[in-house]
Amino acid sequence: MTTLSFVRARKPGPGAARNPHQPYRKALATTRGRIGLALALLVTLAGLLAPLLSSHVPTAQSGEALLAPGSPGHLLGTDDLGRDLLSRVLYGIRTDLEVIALAVPLGALLGCAFALLAAVHPVLDTVVQRVFDLVLAFPGLILALAITAVLGPGRLPVVVVIALAEIPVFGRQLRAGILVQREREYAVAARVGGTGRARLLLRHILPNCADPLVVQLAVSLTVAVFLEGAMSFLGVGIRPPEPTLGNMLSQALPYLAQAPHFAAGPLLVVTLLVLGFSLLSEALNREIRR
Amino acid sequence: MPSSSALPLDPLTRRTALRAAGAGALLLGTGGGLAGCRSAVNAEEGSAGPKRGGTLTIAINQDFTPALLFTQTGQSLQNRLIYNTLIRYDDDLEPQPELATSWEYAPDGKSITLKLRDDVTYHDGRKFTADDVVFAVENLRKPERSAQLAATAKAVTGFEKRGDHELVVKLAHPVSNLFDLFEFMIITDRHSVEDAVKGKKLNGTGPFRFKRWRPGTGLSLARNEKYWKPDRPYLDAVELRVYTQPDALLSALRSGQAQLSYHVSGKHLATLKSSSGFTIKQYDTGNGAVYVGATLDEAPADSKAFRQAIAWAVDRDRVVDQALGGYGLASAAPWPKSSPAYSEANRTHYTHDPGKARELLKSSGVPTSRTLPLGHPTTPLHTAIAEIVQYDLQQIGIKTELQPFDPASFQKKLISGTMPTLWVNGHGFAQVQPATLAVSAYPFNEARNTSHFRSAEYTEAVQDAWRQKDADGAKAHARYQKISDLLLDEAFIIDLAVQDSVQVAAEKLRGPALTKFSYLNLDDAHLV
Repeated sequence: MTTLSFVRARKPGPGAARNPHQPYRKALATTRGRIGLALALLVTLAGLLAPLLSSHVPTAQSGEALLAPGSPGHLLGTDDLGRDLLSRVLYGIRTDLEVIALAVPLGALLGCAFALLAAVHPVLDTVVQRVFDLVLAFPGLILALAITAVLGPGRLPVVVVIALAEIPVFGRQLRAGILVQREREYAVAARVGGTGRARLLLRHILPNCADPLVVQLAVSLTVAVFLEGAMSFLGVGIRPPEPTLGNMLSQALPYLAQAPHFAAGPLLVVTLLVLGFSLLSEALNREIRR
Repeated sequence: MPSSSALPLDPLTRRTALRAAGAGALLLGTGGGLAGCRSAVNAEEGSAGPKRGGTLTIAINQDFTPALLFTQTGQSLQNRLIYNTLIRYDDDLEPQPELATSWEYAPDGKSITLKLRDDVTYHDGRKFTADDVVFAVENLRKPERSAQLAATAKAVTGFEKRGDHELVVKLAHPVSNLFDLFEFMIITDRHSVEDAVKGKKLNGTGPFRFKRWRPGTGLSLARNEKYWKPDRPYLDAVELRVYTQPDALLSALRSGQAQLSYHVSGKHLATLKSSSGFTIKQYDTGNGAVYVGATLDEAPADSKAFRQAIAWAVDRDRVVDQALGGYGLASAAPWPKSSPAYSEANRTHYTHDPGKARELLKSSGVPTSRTLPLGHPTTPLHTAIAEIVQYDLQQIGIKTELQPFDPASFQKKLISGTMPTLWVNGHGFAQVQPATLAVSAYPFNEARNTSHFRSAEYTEAVQDAWRQKDADGAKAHARYQKISDLLLDEAFIIDLAVQDSVQVAAEKLRGPALTKFSYLNLDDAHLV
């Protein structure tokens, strides 16, 4: 699982009324940030506009054109059941984004909640850390196979697997931030001034830990694309005939020599999406560390 | 104006020219050498006949499941390598000697006298005797063996041993599929059968000895030096290697890691057809069939009209073309062309007619608002068929959701009768005597089938066809037709296509053959 190295938090210096959105704006103004954002937006828009960009139903089969190359009727060609590849790629993006957009924030929220809970008492901290250790001990795909063995394949298990894999990542990230921030002068002053533990954590410490979490969010989106793709590729992801980028790649693999266009579409989209999120996270990370 | 060439062209120096000439000569030399080798091989093969030696690696798509050793599954290839059977069928379903050298049926069909080979030993050196045949029959009767031919084994009421190598098998009544039992039933070592079903020790009389089974990887077998067929087998060793992903299986064949497979799906064969170095053999005797099953105690599959609508809705030609890659025969009935029960009228009883299907649904008033589960094994073939069926059913207003199960779980559900409302799978047993399908195959078994279909008429028709001495002839054909009529009318199993077995072998491999029950026979196989 990808995690970020320690990111130095900025001191809320006196009189230096910092615009909290400044590093993000700066990151998006860099070449990396711009390209990353453009790629991610391009793919996301393609998915959102799928019904407008495609004239075929993604599950509609035809007996006439099997593994046909690109033509005016089917711009990216057809698959082994005669389905239009362009519409399957576009709707596949939709499916992937729906799953990822649900699973990653869910994992992030739960991870942060556990980290805040752990900050309340050392015993709770120990328990939460051991639970995180347990989840992290399983590689993502092993976790996926174990969960789908219980829940069966489908959309829900994919969401559960991605969210579960992300919980300790965000939890550890926030915990590291809290440990640093709570020793800072502003936190000590707030405690001395009688601020309650919950208020101190939520109102003062948490906002100062947000930057690395934003970067982690972009990294986790990349990981989630891979994880969803790998689960569908192994046949334990979203059920056919619903198109996903992973199951399209899985179906296309035996035909690589015979019909390379079958794999080209989903492969290109996965590459663009991962590249976009990676560039974006790197740009954010660089600006926040600056 | 200066030209803007991207890269300067390399001038042809003397050194480059010499290098190129040297490389060319080397290639020519290698090519010539290879051609020479090939000629030598051909000459050697032509003059001296098959040579002993070599290891054959077989690519399989599912691991060996020892618990299902006595059940016919998609993975029974190893059975005839380690074990023998009493007889083997030829292409016309005529029994030929194996461990039984001759047989004599009593005129009333209530007993059969078998003469057994007296020169056969098990891999551990023990002699094969009539007691082993007695054990083999009794073993198949046990419910824990999940043997589809248990009904035929249960028709055996007793044995009379006449020495160690002659046995009279007594029957409660004549059975038309007795030789199916003798073809199907592997003769295992009675002392180690419990170890066999755990995959620890498989002791047989077959051409290869069991060396080890590594779960998830495959089986390793070595030549049986004391095999009863003189100078056989030619091969020193056989490895069965598991490749669950079809692309990995194809790569194993293409890269030469494996030299034989029966698990390349028809639609993936196109990639091998174009590459030299392989021979593709099609067994058109019908090794199995693909079908849609219905669980009759769940609405709306309890309605005959609903099931018949499904039978009219599915485009069988598309199943053959798109899922089987053309290696099959669209058929509404389970029988292959080689079966005594085959008829063209049965095969075309249901054709693709969505209009008729919609009409049937409408006139019967069966509600189709509910989304029905459509189970299938996760193998690419069955997934593709399930997707085709789902799409065709959607065209007549039946909504389904695919429910994938791994093949082992699916087989368990099939045996235990806990399938979802609809399912897609393949069945065997139609390639042998027709009665076997109806008394032995889990989906069709008249006494207890996966669909939970019960009918006195079906039971009577099946029993009538089964309790006969003669399996062929006009009367037998009439009985088979009655079974076909009931199967087609009740449509609890909706056959889609008869599937051909396809053998993909490296060019250097000669002589592999499949038995009627898809056991692999490598007695005469050799590498050239």
